[in-house]
Amino acid sequence: MLKRLFSSVGEGATVEWTIEPRREGLGVRLRELFRYHRVLRFFAVKTVVEMYQGTLLGKIWLLRPILPIAISAAVFGGILGVGSDGVPYFLFFLTGSAAWMLFEQATIWVTRSLDLNKGLVKKVYFPRLVMPLSSASPAVLYFCIFVVLLAIAFVYYFVTDGRLYLVIGPQLLAAVFAAACCVTLAVAVGLWTSVWQTRVREVRFTVRYVLRFWNYLTPVIYPLSKVPSEYRGWMMLNPMAAYVETFKWGVLGIGTLDIGSLVTALGVTGVMLVAGAWYFTREEAKAIDNL
Amino acid sequence: MVDGLGKCFYIQETESAKKPKGVWARVKFWPERLRHGVTQPFGGKREFWALRNVSFTVKRGTVLGVIGPNGAGKSTLLKVIARVTPPTEGRVRGVGRVVSLLELGAGFNPEVSARENIIMNAAMYGVPRTDIEKHFDDIIAFAEIEQFVDTPLKFYSSGMYLRLAFSVAVNMRPQILIADEILAVGDIAFQERCLARVSELANDGLTVLFVSHDMEAILKVCNEVIWLNGGRIQGAGDPDKVVTEYQNVAWAKNEAARTEKGRHSNRNAELIAAKLVSQRGREIGAAPIGEEVGVRIRFSVQRPLKARIGFDLTHRGGLIFRTMTPEWIEIAEPGLYEALGRIPPSFLTEILYGVNAFLIMHAEGKESSLIIYGAVSFMGYDNERGIEKQQLQKGGLLAPRLEWSLKKETLVNA
Repeated sequence: MLKRLFSSVGEGATVEWTIEPRREGLGVRLRELFRYHRVLRFFAVKTVVEMYQGTLLGKIWLLRPILPIAISAAVFGGILGVGSDGVPYFLFFLTGSAAWMLFEQATIWVTRSLDLNKGLVKKVYFPRLVMPLSSASPAVLYFCIFVVLLAIAFVYYFVTDGRLYLVIGPQLLAAVFAAACCVTLAVAVGLWTSVWQTRVREVRFTVRYVLRFWNYLTPVIYPLSKVPSEYRGWMMLNPMAAYVETFKWGVLGIGTLDIGSLVTALGVTGVMLVAGAWYFTREEAKAIDNL
Repeated sequence: MVDGLGKCFYIQETESAKKPKGVWARVKFWPERLRHGVTQPFGGKREFWALRNVSFTVKRGTVLGVIGPNGAGKSTLLKVIARVTPPTEGRVRGVGRVVSLLELGAGFNPEVSARENIIMNAAMYGVPRTDIEKHFDDIIAFAEIEQFVDTPLKFYSSGMYLRLAFSVAVNMRPQILIADEILAVGDIAFQERCLARVSELANDGLTVLFVSHDMEAILKVCNEVIWLNGGRIQGAGDPDKVVTEYQNVAWAKNEAARTEKGRHSNRNAELIAAKLVSQRGREIGAAPIGEEVGVRIRFSVQRPLKARIGFDLTHRGGLIFRTMTPEWIEIAEPGLYEALGRIPPSFLTEILYGVNAFLIMHAEGKESSLIIYGAVSFMGYDNERGIEKQQLQKGGLLAPRLEWSLKKETLVNA
């Protein structure tokens, strides 16, 4: 099966096709998307490369997250004294931010995906789903930087405190899983917003605005344990809260793994993703005519 | 095969016209907005059918020319076939890989080298990397950019860029190539080469859909032509026939426009237009140096008169020469006339020429004249590559081929 799919790309010669007003269903689209997996990978790299091209500091920009993280950590952890479940606040905040920023950046990039590549999508055909799916790549890069920063922080605290806060074990897989879920959720959101962005310019600002509130509703700055217990249930309806908690549990071993809320979050994400893909494929043609 | 194709655009009326004025009106407007979707902008929509009921079939190996005035739906047709925009009705069926050149170099990234761009373009058309690496040298050779393979495209001249784009497209081994006005750009020698390449590929079974305003190019490479007008097919079939019909209609329109303006005329006659034409009498935009070209001047005569028709050949406003009919011509019958002044082959050079067409007449004992300044402007280009390059010295205004003879002097004083 896999082989057949691959070879059909290479030959491509005798494939019959039909163009009709009513586009194929989601299943056909996904298979087509798989045939174009090379394009997907390609755009993912391209988005990242183009981001840093023509900048003076080049790769130094990769270190951009350090400063805001350090300042926020100093304000919330140092001045305001927000608790952190027994780990150094900086480490706590950095871990939460890693997961959150992955989601935030991915959402922003995916939202702009069609708009940023309008020159391309108006002139060349490839499955349009490639655009939102591949555009999350800068966020993944961003996340990798956070991982490196985390590693440095772990080493630092190991030397100064004599304690390794990192949980080494299968629990880490939960963190990887949570990170993957963050990207998936971002794509699910972006499938909607990227279409809106083609019609109304301010969508991407609105998205940033909403993300800011969303950030406060997610236990990034503060631990979930600081939230009064009667609100906690409500809070965990936010899929990001579940993912960030799972991520912190996986990396730092603080809090608990709440399977119930994680399942809810996965359900919400799944529904949004499928509905988003359906919406996107329905609206993509009109959206591109609009660009 | 294209069957009953239609494309409807919903054109946005200007927002301000329909946008409710005042705070209360806007609030009242919200229920309606919600029904239409919040992200849909304000304002009414007007239907516009860019294509309506367009049907035709193209056999394998055909070069199909698509002609028509601006706004006839040519580009929309190609966009639909290239799957960039879906049709509103009808369907297109086909076989094999479609490569579209809706814009030369769409999808190129100026920041990276030609090598990377080629691979990336291949990926976009679903061509495997191994395949494209086989053709890599062909692509570079055709584009003539051997020395610049690893230079980012932003340092390319626009010519190099276009050559690369065209070269990449034809080397994707498509079964169907869609080309929108690719000849409107690039230098003329390169255009010739592209056309030659297109014909060659068509012989190997490539189907080409080709939009152009250059009738000479259409006639040179196309086996079939469809003529679109207002989103419908107005004529189809044999290139010669369709192009002639199309040009007649275009001429007629041109005349109508001229009459409205009423310039270049007096009570005796009217100078209508001048055009550059090829040996075969087709309107062309540039003059192949190796071939005869003509300046066709159209005028109408209201009463019997004697006339001399001619034109000035100019370069940057400076006169190169003036030529006109050697004698006064008696025109007894009123009506529409056409004069043709032939420019021999191997006479012009590779510069931009301008033509001022004029008509001098003698009627009722008075002499008068009409002139259209800048009636035509065109480039000369060397269509026979490499011949007599010495003749095409830079700076010359003409490069005529003269009769030469060589004789050995016999020295008498021994």
